[in-house]
Amino acid sequence: MPTVAKVWIEEDCITCDACQDILPEVFEVTDDTSLIKAEVREDGTFDRNTGFSAIKTEFRAEYSELIEEAADACPVEIIKFEYEAGAATEVAEEAPAAVEAVAPVAVAADTGADAGVLAGVLSGDRGLAIFFGSQTGNAAGLAEKTAKKAVAYGLEPSVIDMDGYDQSQFSTHKRILIITSTWGEGEMPDNAEELWNSTNSSNPSLAGIHYSVCAIGDTSYDEFCKAGTDWDDKFKSLGATSILEIKLCDVDFDEPWTEWVNEVLPRIACVDSSGVFHEDLVEAMIAYGAGDEDDGASDGDFAPPEIVMPTISLTMKIFRYNPVMAQSGYDTIAVALPGHATIEDALVAVKREVDGSLTFRSGGIAGHNPLTGVKANGRILPADTTRICDLVSDGATLTIEPIPGYDVLKDLMVSYDRYDNERANSKPWMAADPRQGEKLVSGAPMGVMASSEATNLHTLADVGSLQLVNAMSDTYDVDDEYSGPGIALQRWVRSQDPRSGVKHVKQMFSLMQNKGGIWDEADISSIHRHGIDGSQAADALYEARSRLLAEYKFTGRTGRLVKNYSRSVKMSGNVNETTLYRSVLGPLGLGSNLMNGVSLRMMLGFTRNGGPMMRGFQGMLVPPAGIGKIPNMFNGKVANHHEVVAIFNELDSRF
Amino acid sequence: MVKYSYYPGNVARQSSFEVEDTIQPLCKSLGIELIEMVGYNSDGGNIIKQGNRELQLALNARNIALAESNGHDIITACASAQGILHETLDTFQKDPIALANANRVLEKTTGMTVSGEISTNHLLHVLVDEIGLDKVEAAVVNPLDLDIACYYGPHMQREGACGGDDAWNPNYMEQLITALGGNPVEFRTKTSSVGNPSLLSLGDSVMKMTARVLNDAKKSGAQVLVSACTQSHSNLDSYQGKAGRVASKDTNIPVVHLSEIVAFALGHFPDRFAQLRTRAIIIGS
Repeated sequence: MPTVAKVWIEEDCITCDACQDILPEVFEVTDDTSLIKAEVREDGTFDRNTGFSAIKTEFRAEYSELIEEAADACPVEIIKFEYEAGAATEVAEEAPAAVEAVAPVAVAADTGADAGVLAGVLSGDRGLAIFFGSQTGNAAGLAEKTAKKAVAYGLEPSVIDMDGYDQSQFSTHKRILIITSTWGEGEMPDNAEELWNSTNSSNPSLAGIHYSVCAIGDTSYDEFCKAGTDWDDKFKSLGATSILEIKLCDVDFDEPWTEWVNEVLPRIACVDSSGVFHEDLVEAMIAYGAGDEDDGASDGDFAPPEIVMPTISLTMKIFRYNPVMAQSGYDTIAVALPGHATIEDALVAVKREVDGSLTFRSGGIAGHNPLTGVKANGRILPADTTRICDLVSDGATLTIEPIPGYDVLKDLMVSYDRYDNERANSKPWMAADPRQGEKLVSGAPMGVMASSEATNLHTLADVGSLQLVNAMSDTYDVDDEYSGPGIALQRWVRSQDPRSGVKHVKQMFSLMQNKGGIWDEADISSIHRHGIDGSQAADALYEARSRLLAEYKFTGRTGRLVKNYSRSVKMSGNVNETTLYRSVLGPLGLGSNLMNGVSLRMMLGFTRNGGPMMRGFQGMLVPPAGIGKIPNMFNGKVANHHEVVAIFNELDSRF
Repeated sequence: MVKYSYYPGNVARQSSFEVEDTIQPLCKSLGIELIEMVGYNSDGGNIIKQGNRELQLALNARNIALAESNGHDIITACASAQGILHETLDTFQKDPIALANANRVLEKTTGMTVSGEISTNHLLHVLVDEIGLDKVEAAVVNPLDLDIACYYGPHMQREGACGGDDAWNPNYMEQLITALGGNPVEFRTKTSSVGNPSLLSLGDSVMKMTARVLNDAKKSGAQVLVSACTQSHSNLDSYQGKAGRVASKDTNIPVVHLSEIVAFALGHFPDRFAQLRTRAIIIGS
């Protein structure tokens, strides 16, 4: 039994007197803290012994156990002690690898007398081989789960498929767990068959191995768990030591496996690197495993990386609007924030430290609220999930404004009524016709859809916030009648849903085609550049326009534009703007251009700054007069023009 | 001398010949050799794409194949063309099926194929990233000495399409204007769309978008607006009177192409530059 050589008191004593009650010869509790008496110390000082003076030799054997008891009894665990060096030497004799790894003092104090030995067990080779014999994957899954739990006991598990394993390698392990199912009438699973046969034929010595078996089976079979019991018998016969009796699990194996794994892991973890089982340490090992449980969990399925970015100093310009005074402007604030902070974090900091009246939408603790959008340095982004470091670098200016296209209520908070009203009016939700389907086991009807169709539907509208997609459009905030690309996207998706009724699809097409619909978007490129969501929405809008042009046969001014633009390119390889203006605008449009000065500006050289005015005058003299682009009426065909025609003929004969 | 395959776009040799007039001499002055893409065709202007995406991809694939056969990366003076060419190349690099389909059509119709491994560049980014502002500044003959707002438009303002410039808060053109002896003027809507693809099909909203940019530039104190997008230039210049009336905003401001203002500063077309300065003083006041 090792004896205590040093004892000391750490900070935060609550002066409960427990230690003094147990061992008044060593501990004396003052008004502030417990102290170690001078009489028992080599240095003869009366204090907490933070200098780690040794206990006089003559007192060690007498007080050792009581010091341990006092340390155990201390409610705030501030009594720490250290054993004589001889104790470590003694451990070293049993487990040579433990010399360098005598447990830290804090651990020794926590786990009492067994701690030093436990530390020795926890050092050196900690390998644990977990073999699985599996037919359907259940045993393999349990092996994986067992391995994750084993880490908590300081083990280094490796999960091994029995298939292809060389039986001669069994002896290289000191700790083995076997998890196996039984197949058919007491047969080995396919992946274990070969190893079983080779083990039986060669009968290798397994002396020095500690093992246990978890067998899963089905009690409705005569040969219940036979594969597991076969392995158990075989290991025993070859000299291995069972660390825990075989566990037989029925079809519902979770509960018995849990019992087995909770019992076997601390036991097999007490097998030291030389193969000696320390049964007296099992309780300490259970405590050790429980103490490490939290850490083990974080290293299991998902270990989140540490995401800490350097602090960024920036100038924030925040839009402010006071609806009572109808005043607006910008607040400029110098801030320093961690780079990984979100825009919302920055706004919260400003609200808390600078101006409590700052108003914005918060994402809440769940993250990603589609309504938290702001315009940050021109980009439409969700404030609650966008990091500062992804927007600006150190020393930059970050301008935060409300998203465009919506009425500003106060500061950065906008009203989404426009979006909600448009959505309610267009009803882009499911309106299905009766159709063929399948039935669930319960007999309830269930619709069916091919997985490719379902994936396509999800992909079409896979954006984080349809409200923000609306704000990405540069057209949305200048055209009050435009329902926006977010609404258009919903209509398009619903029209492509094979579950939608015929009448509903027509309604969606009509809403997209008419005023307020998809053609009111003046420039899809303004949406496309807004990251993944923007490009996703833009691609869907192009696809929708293509479908509408086919459906409505290029009618309307936009239809004429696409048709005539395409034909112009096909006919010459280039855009003939004169014919394009004439065919798209028509006589009324040309007349309008004449009247409102557009044609005049073209002719008088505004467009061609300082260019030859004769080009413009030609436009006045040769029909169709009005737009001053006469040279383009005769623009020549590109070289190898037939290639362009061939491309058109190959891909789209409509032009 | 650096060499590029020159793609004029849809308007430089059509309605906006002033771009062609000026890009050739300015490139010679700065040691850029423009290699003709013989037989180049329209990029579809994102209008053909509305009817048939594969068709626009194939038309652009033909242009890219011409550039690849030249053996030089592409240069263009049009932000819209730059955006479309970059998007096409990006599609080909990320979507092997789209590339295979385009090559199938291209090989059948032209005998060419594309690898998609060349790059496309706007004149602005070539001047700043490749030529260098020091060299540009050294070549200035007539310093601009004007307050100039720089319009980029949205088409090329995407990651990867605008050289080393910031896609959302670009300043390459401002740096260039400074190097040319001008005074760049910041304004908020320099990357906003003016709705050019819908110029002929939409009415008031396009005019309002155009007026927003013009008015914003003017309110910021600019005497001249320089546009990196030759297509948007039609909205900004020819339609600015109509845009001002529709939006009830002051939109009167001279608008020139980027290639023009660079050429003027390098000493080309001094008579046109004199005209511009006169207009800036009279109309912009």
